[in-house]
Amino acid sequence: MIDVDPREIIEIIGRNGADAPLISVLEEIQTKYRYLPREAMILVSEAFGLPLSQIYSVATFYNAFSLERRGRHEACVCVGTACHVRGAKRVLSHLEEKLGIKAGETTPDWNYTLDTVHCLGACALGPIVVVDGEYSGQMHAKKVDELLARIEQADEGEA
Amino acid sequence: MPDVQVTIDGHQVSVPANSTVLDAAKVAGIDIPELCAHDALKPIGACRMCLVEVEKQRVLHPACTFPVSEGMVVHTASDAVLGARRFVLQLLFSERNHFCMYCQTSGSCTLQDLAYEHGLTHWEFDRAFPKMPVDASRQFFVMDHNRCILCRRCIRACDELVGNRTLGLKNRGADTMVIADMDIPFGDSSCISCGTCMQMCPTGALMDRASAYMGATDEITRVPSRCSLCSVGCGVELIVRGNRVIRVEGDWDAEPNKGLICEVGRFGLLHERRQRVRKPLVKADGALADADWDDALQKAAEGLKSAESAVVVSGFSSTEAAQAAVNQLPGKKMALGGALVNGDNAPLSVLDETDLIIVADVDLTEGYNYRMASFPIKRSARHRGVRVILLDDEPNGLDAWARYKWSPDEAERAVELAQHAEMPVIVYDQHSAALAQELAAQLPKAKTIGFAPEGNTAGLAEVGISEPFANDGFSAYYVIAGEAAEVPQELMDALAKADFVAVQASYREPWEDVADVILPSPVMFEKDGSLVNTEGRSFELKAGVTTRRPSEVEVIERLGALL
Ligand code: SF4
Ligand code: SF4
Ligand code: SF4
Ligand code: FES
Ligand code: FES
Repeated sequence: MIDVDPREIIEIIGRNGADAPLISVLEEIQTKYRYLPREAMILVSEAFGLPLSQIYSVATFYNAFSLERRGRHEACVCVGTACHVRGAKRVLSHLEEKLGIKAGETTPDWNYTLDTVHCLGACALGPIVVVDGEYSGQMHAKKVDELLARIEQADEGEA
Repeated sequence: MPDVQVTIDGHQVSVPANSTVLDAAKVAGIDIPELCAHDALKPIGACRMCLVEVEKQRVLHPACTFPVSEGMVVHTASDAVLGARRFVLQLLFSERNHFCMYCQTSGSCTLQDLAYEHGLTHWEFDRAFPKMPVDASRQFFVMDHNRCILCRRCIRACDELVGNRTLGLKNRGADTMVIADMDIPFGDSSCISCGTCMQMCPTGALMDRASAYMGATDEITRVPSRCSLCSVGCGVELIVRGNRVIRVEGDWDAEPNKGLICEVGRFGLLHERRQRVRKPLVKADGALADADWDDALQKAAEGLKSAESAVVVSGFSSTEAAQAAVNQLPGKKMALGGALVNGDNAPLSVLDETDLIIVADVDLTEGYNYRMASFPIKRSARHRGVRVILLDDEPNGLDAWARYKWSPDEAERAVELAQHAEMPVIVYDQHSAALAQELAAQLPKAKTIGFAPEGNTAGLAEVGISEPFANDGFSAYYVIAGEAAEVPQELMDALAKADFVAVQASYREPWEDVADVILPSPVMFEKDGSLVNTEGRSFELKAGVTTRRPSEVEVIERLGALL
């Protein structure tokens, strides 16, 4: 777990103000930590005078929020019908093997979270892999390797 | 706004303009089935069980949320309506596990009743049948998510009525589940086990451990009575089967609690661990042994006659028993629980009207401490923005609801704020009477609610027993204790020193060591009589069960005859 600094969260809440929409505050916290830490939800509950159960309700209703810490990169394989018949399964198992995790999991070094989705509405491009919001179509094992290598390179460049 | 005319199934009724179709149907005496709606809750239109046909409307509408309008014509039993109801029921039944024959609530379940009423004989749709968890982490009742239809009655009751706001929902769609706080076990959550949610639940999702499988509607009777365990005197219904009380529920029509009761009233007596006194007990060679009534009464009379004796009466006694003690027993009479604190108490309903509440050094969330009264305080704080000021040096169960918390020594800060309030209310008990007086003296607009100790201390005062117990060195005591559990140490010390002690008690504890004679006393489920609550209202206590043992009053009269 990363350390959650209550001051940072109080700062976010303060900047938005107590009449701010709950969701926008939660979104800001989600962006900062890549999940909603429990401590943060408790602080939000106190600041907004809302019961814990209600914060939790909102946090679990929307897919945009996660209750578990996510990896730096979020990879998502479409397993919708069209992508499926074009080999999404193989793409997924290749990614799982490369990252050493199953769909729904996060690598121990917090680098990747792997997810699946049912149809992104771009079936003609299938099978599709989305990493950090960027779509790559007509994927197969080799292209997955290239994609991962590119991301690694970019990360090294940054570091 | 003038009333509007509505026609429902051919009956014309005139109802207030802000009514819903369901309200109007109730006025017309027409039954519309409801699952998520409840008279005590705001309607949300979640379950769709109450769909009705409204002329000139394209689709069916839920009666519980649909507002009436002038000249509206409603049909509640047309083919379209009945078909829709059956469809809604089919969906509800196919969602989770509703194999009624294995359900502890079978026979007293609103959902099941509706299924029978609408002729459901089989599942029309495939059952999703997800495996849902069961949460049994609370001592008195269990949440089985497999039976939950997500009507949200429990959530709204916990929020709107109790003001506790423990419950909520997580996830969405078919994965939606009722949760406590941030999805932690109910037993570890902020739940106070008042059981209001369970009383509200129209299915078997919330089940009472004590009455599971026993409460079928045609096998029980409901006896309206009162809880006499504290001076709120909540109206209850005793759920009785085979001369046994299996469950206690709040009476929705009763003042001052309007259907709500606390953990103590709902579960306290049914889960009492202390050993009952079923036969008279007489001490011989240092140990209590069974005796027959004549011997025990004789023994008690001898002991009391040979010394200067006093009678200590608890507020767990009915007013009739207290009166009998005054009429029949010699010696000074004193009240076990302490003194009445206030002559002109405001009714508890002011808690739902006030704009500022000062809770003066009393914790309304623990022990026998008038817990129901914490509900209007909580819901006022949560829903009406009422400022709650706690004057308390200790942690208080209302901490999370309080806007301000100061030491009782800083009472002037509370006065400063309350001066500007429309109608401040001061809540206190006998331990903080002086503080409350000090506050009230400076707040001319303030109303006060001073809780009388125990259940019927106000009733004792009415028959003249108003002096609190004080150790004046009597050498013999007769204690009319009833269910009393929390007994002042001063009294226990006096009893330990006295030459002779006879007690009329429901339980052996805490009397075993000090009593020479213990005479059985009924508990509140077993007695008829009356009590006066802290507001000064007189209520009737009705026995849910009969026993062969003599009543409280009879015992006192028989003893009196020997003295
Ligand atoms: S028992 Fe009372 S406090 Fe607990 S969840 Fe139910 S209504 Fe809320
Ligand atoms: S537990 Fe009962 S009251 Fe609560 S949502 Fe489920 S069915 Fe409704
Ligand atoms: S508040 Fe008092 S009278 Fe009401 S249920 Fe609780 S113990 Fe009984
Ligand atoms: S199935 Fe993958 S985009 Fe439609
Ligand atoms: S009772 Fe009206 S929708 Fe549930």
